[in-house]
Amino acid sequence: MTPDEITKLIFRTALRERAAFDLLYRHTSAKLFGVCLRVLKDRAEAEEALQDVYVKIWTKADRFAATDLSPITWLVAVARNHAIDKLRARKAPAAELDEAQAVADPMPNPESMAEAGSERRRIDACLGELETDRATAVRGAYLNGDSYAELAARFDVPLNTMRTWLRRSLLKLRECLER
Amino acid sequence: MTVADEHGPERSDDDLVAAEYVLGVLAAEERAAAARRIETEPDFAHLVEHWEAHLAPMAGAYEAVEPPVNAKSVIDARLFGTEPAAQEKAGLWSSLAFWRGVAVAALLAFGTYVALTYTSLPFGSQPLEEQRFVASLAHDDTDVRYLAIYDSTKRDVALSHVSGARPDGRDFELWAIEGDRPPVSLGVIPVGSSVHVALSEALGAAIDAGAVFAITTEPLGGSPSGEPTGPVVALGDLRDI
Repeated sequence: MTPDEITKLIFRTALRERAAFDLLYRHTSAKLFGVCLRVLKDRAEAEEALQDVYVKIWTKADRFAATDLSPITWLVAVARNHAIDKLRARKAPAAELDEAQAVADPMPNPESMAEAGSERRRIDACLGELETDRATAVRGAYLNGDSYAELAARFDVPLNTMRTWLRRSLLKLRECLER
Repeated sequence: MTVADEHGPERSDDDLVAAEYVLGVLAAEERAAAARRIETEPDFAHLVEHWEAHLAPMAGAYEAVEPPVNAKSVIDARLFGTEPAAQEKAGLWSSLAFWRGVAVAALLAFGTYVALTYTSLPFGSQPLEEQRFVASLAHDDTDVRYLAIYDSTKRDVALSHVSGARPDGRDFELWAIEGDRPPVSLGVIPVGSSVHVALSEALGAAIDAGAVFAITTEPLGGSPSGEPTGPVVALGDLRDI
């Protein structure tokens, strides 16, 4: 399904067309479930989060028209932000964090690099300009929803140091992306 | 040295908070505060949107995973209060034969509406897609934004109000503009978040021929002269998405 087709489905969902909402779910739920699962790392929680996400999409679809984001970017943002909020709301024991770290793949494998679009190759190249551990922290934070506190503990630096690292990295990353 | 020292004045701090919100590293309370700001501060919301766009390519690394087969029925139950009995038949939900049976039975019972809901089936979404055009009506100088969906077979324009209030004592009027011809009024847009405007055959033909929609502010009840008198506050081409 092309981005234009997904855009139409979101617009029609905003107009309360259930048929469009059903189609939108059919074509996007696997991606958004993947987002919830990766962030929450718990199937039951991810399933519940996915329900919340589509309830939000139904009720807030008109917001999409007010953004300039691509439809998939908007949908992923709704799912990611919700999943990260759920993650923050739970008190995770340290053992779970280690497990989460083991699941994470900090660098893209060659295969996924090959099939990645030009935008993704570009951001991978820009992440490649950062120091390795900082690029790993940025990627881990984005994909897994790692918090400053978790990253600081993992890299064994004070929280403010981690904040400074990531803020600098984000600005460098943007500078590279806009180059 | 503090972060503020390194990155200068406070206004760039908003930019960094927006970046941190999108990256996902903030603590629960900080995230909640940022989410509130997105709702109430358009400038901050813009910063967040820019970062979403910048970082979005990383999302390509999320693997798609099929959700459980009954997940959609739970969502529908939450949104539309669908019969809970559906959930007790979880085993049946994965059966294609069951779906076909449901769709055929429902088609007979309820006509086309239900058929359109199960669009993987042969009698599905195709005709629907072909007859419809969608546009976002907007203008750089205003915050007025409508979604328009035009159904050419029914000659119906569905308008969904997204943002921007009509000024006190004024109405929004919808116009179709075909090439160099004078704008033709489609009438005052009724107040409401989602409204329908029916078109005459001639107007339908004009839209099919590529006319654009425009919205102006007019005196209450619409333009007295039959021509637009107020400024254009939103504009959009139905084919332009």
